[in-house]
Amino acid sequence: MKLLMKEWKLCMHPTGYIMLLCAALILVPGYPYGVTCFYMGLAIYFICLTARENHDAAFTLMLPVSRPEAVKARILLCAGLEVIDLLLIGLFILVKGAAGSMPNPAGLDAGLALLGEGMILFAIYNMIFFPMYYRDINKPGKAFGFAASAMFLWIVLEVAGTYTVPFVRDVLDQPDPRYMSDKALFTLGGLALFLGGTAWSIQTSAKRFGEVDLSL
Amino acid sequence: MTYEVKIPLEVRGLCKNYPAFRLDEVSFRLVPGSITGFIGRNGAGKTTTINSMLSFVKPDAGEVRFFGLEAGEHEAEIKEKIGFVSAGMTYYTRKKLKAITEVTKTFYPAWNDTAYRKWLGAFGLDEEKTPAELSNGMKIKYALALALSHGAELLILDEPTSGLDPVSREELVEVFLKLKDEGKTVFFSTHITSDLEKCADRILFLQNGQLKADDGLDSFREAWRIAECGQEIPAEIRKAARGRCRIREGYTVLLPKEEAPAGAREATLEEIMIHLEKEADEA
Repeated sequence: MKLLMKEWKLCMHPTGYIMLLCAALILVPGYPYGVTCFYMGLAIYFICLTARENHDAAFTLMLPVSRPEAVKARILLCAGLEVIDLLLIGLFILVKGAAGSMPNPAGLDAGLALLGEGMILFAIYNMIFFPMYYRDINKPGKAFGFAASAMFLWIVLEVAGTYTVPFVRDVLDQPDPRYMSDKALFTLGGLALFLGGTAWSIQTSAKRFGEVDLSL
Repeated sequence: MTYEVKIPLEVRGLCKNYPAFRLDEVSFRLVPGSITGFIGRNGAGKTTTINSMLSFVKPDAGEVRFFGLEAGEHEAEIKEKIGFVSAGMTYYTRKKLKAITEVTKTFYPAWNDTAYRKWLGAFGLDEEKTPAELSNGMKIKYALALALSHGAELLILDEPTSGLDPVSREELVEVFLKLKDEGKTVFFSTHITSDLEKCADRILFLQNGQLKADDGLDSFREAWRIAECGQEIPAEIRKAARGRCRIREGYTVLLPKEEAPAGAREATLEEIMIHLEKEADEA
């Protein structure tokens, strides 16, 4: 908890808050809503970039903490931001639904399945970005490049899927409350992937960070 | 000597291999309540040694013990008793000192707010400022204030006086002597040897990754003499001469005291280091 507070007070970059506002893009008609998750990925990259510029690793590792604890705190901070982002996305989905949602031609509609999609996107990001980042904390840009590319590829597949894949087109991309049980299952699957992927990311990143020589 | 007397730091057979550099079997121990100067030219391996001691890099071989505790196994316990200050690192440049301190203190059960206020006052530090607003000397003093307020008994300083003006360096040397008076152990890497002449009790001399000397400052200096020669080094001292440095009138050579001719003078730490480095270069 102390480390998490340290991450928040010393490493949090303002874009972390600003990008949360991007959840409001859900209100924009005809927009690939998965992109809102990409903005949070960008904020996480800025957090890690700022940490590098502030010699955060040297500061943290001189505190009475271990390397795995430091890794866990950073990833939990970022996962916390992702969860808040998902909650805000959920809130704007409700707002949009109350205002009368229109079908989205640029990907999934703003509905329950979009939350599941967001969880999958964050799981992909966490599983690629952090293990790469903790192999060399001086190169967050490289890790971000790979993680963001994977996110975009998944978003492209999602958008294409709403036109070509029957389950996506005829079930997930239908307005709520149609097919709610299928969408709920999809979202639960996304949640499982998000939780499991983030836990795997913590474990793998901590192992890698424990093995590297730090050039501080 | 046993571990019960709490040797602040003991390093045994420390090795680290890089493609173009090898830290080779470095071993030493620090005397409690003393100031130890760790000298060597740039690239000699001083920072690699410190980074290996602090587990920033993984040594290929060797053992590091702080206060008798193996570094890898008692990480948290050890870190509560040591403070690390590096001149090259400035943490969180845009955060107020107050904010950095508020976070730092939560990690140390032995944090002493009264001591912190005392050191802030002694160093003339303003908590409302950010590290970006501090001079290099003041940044080091802030890092020292943090370390001293959590009860660090051993201070590891990596090039703390590099880049400082002579007055700031003098102030820091006075701080180190004050810390020594309070029973703290100071381990101080530098290539500005004149600072060590004023405060160090012991000298560790590292050359090309190998520890070439581990001695008291006075006995280390006492073992050598400098002979000033003309353009030719006299035949009778040529064999014993260690390193040759060009000066306006000719050359100076370093000689073991027992082989020095009459008229040879005492050597400064800097002269010893430079001549031994010259000798290594010539070899």
